[in-house]
Amino acid sequence: MSNIDLNLSIGGPQGGGIDTSSNLISRAFASSGYNVLGVREFHSNIKGRHSYVHLRIREERPRSLKYPLDFLVALDPDTIFEHLEDVATGTVVLYDTNDEKAELAQARMIMRDTAKRINSTLQENKLELNVKGALALMKNRGAKIMGIPFSKVLEGTELDGPATRYYNVLGASLTLSIIGLDQKFTRDSLKHIFGNKEKVIALNVKVVDAAYKYCVENGLAGETLPDMDAAPRMLLTGNDGAALGKIMGGLRFQTYYPITPASDESSILEEHEDIKWLSNENEKLSSGGVTVVQTEDELSAITMAEGAAITGARSATATSGPGFSLMAEAISFAGIDEIPVVVTFYQRGGPSTGLPTRNGQADLMFALNTGHGEFPKMVISSGDVEECIYDSMKALNYAQRYQLPVIHLIDKNLANTSDFVPEIDTKKIKVEQSLRTENKTDFKRYTLDTKNGVSPMGIFGKDIFWMTGDEHDELGHVTEDPIIRDRMMEKRFTKLKVADEEIPDEDKVQVYGKKDARITFITWGSQKGVILDSIDALKAKGIEANMLYLKMFEPFPSKFVDKFLKKAGTIIDVESNMTGQAAKVIRMNTGFEVTNFILKYNGRHITEDELVSATADIVSKKKKIVVLENGA
Amino acid sequence: MAHNFRSDVAIDWCPGCGDFGIVTGLTQALTELNYGPNDVVAVSGIGCSGKTPHYLNMAGIHTLHGRSIPYATGVKLANPRLKVIVTSGDGDMLSIGAGHFVAEGRRNTGLTIILYDNEVYGLTKGQAAPTMALGEKTKGLTKPNVFGKVNPITMALSSGYSFVARGFSFDTKHLKDLIKKAVTHEGSSFIDVLQPCPTYNNINTMEWYRSKVYKMDDEKAWDPVVMPEMPAEAANEKFSNAYKRGLEWDDKIPIGVFYDNRAIPSFVKRIAEYVPDYLKNPPAEQIVAGTDGYTNVDPFKTFADRVI
Repeated sequence: MSNIDLNLSIGGPQGGGIDTSSNLISRAFASSGYNVLGVREFHSNIKGRHSYVHLRIREERPRSLKYPLDFLVALDPDTIFEHLEDVATGTVVLYDTNDEKAELAQARMIMRDTAKRINSTLQENKLELNVKGALALMKNRGAKIMGIPFSKVLEGTELDGPATRYYNVLGASLTLSIIGLDQKFTRDSLKHIFGNKEKVIALNVKVVDAAYKYCVENGLAGETLPDMDAAPRMLLTGNDGAALGKIMGGLRFQTYYPITPASDESSILEEHEDIKWLSNENEKLSSGGVTVVQTEDELSAITMAEGAAITGARSATATSGPGFSLMAEAISFAGIDEIPVVVTFYQRGGPSTGLPTRNGQADLMFALNTGHGEFPKMVISSGDVEECIYDSMKALNYAQRYQLPVIHLIDKNLANTSDFVPEIDTKKIKVEQSLRTENKTDFKRYTLDTKNGVSPMGIFGKDIFWMTGDEHDELGHVTEDPIIRDRMMEKRFTKLKVADEEIPDEDKVQVYGKKDARITFITWGSQKGVILDSIDALKAKGIEANMLYLKMFEPFPSKFVDKFLKKAGTIIDVESNMTGQAAKVIRMNTGFEVTNFILKYNGRHITEDELVSATADIVSKKKKIVVLENGA
Repeated sequence: MAHNFRSDVAIDWCPGCGDFGIVTGLTQALTELNYGPNDVVAVSGIGCSGKTPHYLNMAGIHTLHGRSIPYATGVKLANPRLKVIVTSGDGDMLSIGAGHFVAEGRRNTGLTIILYDNEVYGLTKGQAAPTMALGEKTKGLTKPNVFGKVNPITMALSSGYSFVARGFSFDTKHLKDLIKKAVTHEGSSFIDVLQPCPTYNNINTMEWYRSKVYKMDDEKAWDPVVMPEMPAEAANEKFSNAYKRGLEWDDKIPIGVFYDNRAIPSFVKRIAEYVPDYLKNPPAEQIVAGTDGYTNVDPFKTFADRVI
């Protein structure tokens, strides 16, 4: 019984097939029954700049990633330079010996300041300013340097086009062979990746075979790992999860304007617009698909989704910070006109264009405060791939139930996290529909005759009613009457109060770990996993910690949070932003002030090692604020 | 009995406003086409034109400034059975909403777009709208207009609208006939309606327009229709004829249909090619929960490509 827990990064030039490499490794391990978690890091660039995937492989489902790496697989010289700091004693560095001659000065795709920093590091260590120097430094740090002549491995293998085209599959296959994954899984996984492209599969099978053969002949092949039993699982990213959840939750109309990292979700919806049904008993229930529209801008994306929502379709849009900025006015419209619409808000590094392909959680306050005027909206957040599925269903439900805009926050780190999901429970969440009118003669869309603020919706094509961005009367016509104005404001805000009362605490906030632990981490979004792993790691060191995990920010679980924090030990707020926005929201709602922070805003994912060490710095009172800096 | 498309809401446009003629032309057209109130939806933006849906006895949305087209597109795509009429001003459609105006030409969704063209922003006291000519000084302006004008007809043609026409709000019978053609056109139709603002535009008045407008439809040789089987060369000629006519303004202003292309498939049809059962069971009409209240979507089969 092997007990593997591997952190592996595979890097190469953007556009060089790194996705395929990481997919091959993930799927091959998954076929053998292991679990793999991955996060993809890339530049805002189509071809050439450094891109890598950090994977963690183990039997139990990994929840986070960790440095130093066990494996660094470099498909180009840049990867060796960029990941100097990620290796330590025991790290296997696998690279193409042909890259040894590459000079740092020639690595023009490395960001200038990054190259300067690498240059200084190599100079300080009196090493050559090239790959050889970098490898020497890694070796000094205890890494096991494993150069393989890629071209020689493929010598005699008949391929179509230049051999370098296959280096992504070659690098992955060499890695899998060295780790000891059975060749059959690697071969089979090609079918998953390349679908029905028989010719491509056949060519790549040759590459896999050549890699395994080379490793065996050169004594590099690892001892074959045992197979694990595993039921069918789904390899899903956060983007995938949100798309799947939306379809399950009844989404039938989605709009979007291209933006990283949100538009992947819409492409995924488009790829799966042909829904497969659980039961075909009812013809009406098992027909139809998802309509996805690429709009001219985000102004159009949100307003088109709202137009469809008023017509009776369950509608949503997905965007990121810059696009969400453009949507603010229409979200205010959805507020006053009580339109059930969902905006899936993929946060990335801001402000402005910021770090367009990197992680960030700096838009919480923006989401809460978006839109002019006062109106009820709901803001929820997801922290792992499964939550992306179920929260997307819930978001659509809340929008229907309370007839208001729902903003669903997902961060870039989670959007690009790939995870194996073993089970999806189709009976976990009911698909709710808005209250509809039966009144055909004297229909008042905004009737004030309601206890919970919810008035029956009309549907275009079935009911006659009006809507306006102006304050309106019960029929939906413009009014400036002061009394009706007050009643309408109160009606709308009643819905938020009712939502707060109806929705159980566990859908708003969750506590992980022992209640009376010495340390309490507060967090939201994709830090969930890394904090859970850190809690285990701290426990192994004899330190008990727990986590207050926030899932809903509007309405906010003030009472629960206040009560919990008043009894907590050392409280540490962990967020991927600079100003601790969740802590601000807590203070705004409860008056409770959090004073210890672990923050990260360099756009990279938080890893277990840095979080544990930062926690030690806070517990020992060395620091009150720790800024994390891991990541290439 | 035919449905009365006028609502009981009091109209608060200025006396003598050109907008009244549009409401008359539109309601008459819908009545003559025998539509019921649940067949049609009106969508507007902001400004005097934006109030139109409230004056119509049919479902309507008075949306945000500039956004009438995308709201209307959402309505139409969610339920393609509906006839969706956009009633928006020149500032709304050709300035703050210009991006949507162009995009809708590319989409050809199947909307009927009625432009209230009076060259001024009336509700905010008469600033210059994008249809006002350079150097013109209407009474709301402190100095002559420093912007050049956009030509709604040539802009619509260049954007790809498959039906482009112009009406005059003081010739309601002619306008009504144009609206009938526009509403029954399969793709998106655009009508530029000359609609004098009696309060802020003291240059382009009702009399001014009356002295200049003439009907293209009166000319026997004028045939703006492009049929599906028409050779490209002949179709291109129709387009350039329309474009040339669209440039006429100073001495004589043409009204009527400039261009009527029936060969371009609507966006609705294009979507129906990809989305299963789109026309039979459009997004607005799909039932999304089984009798037990839970989803009927099979996640593992729908996302089969992700299963290991």
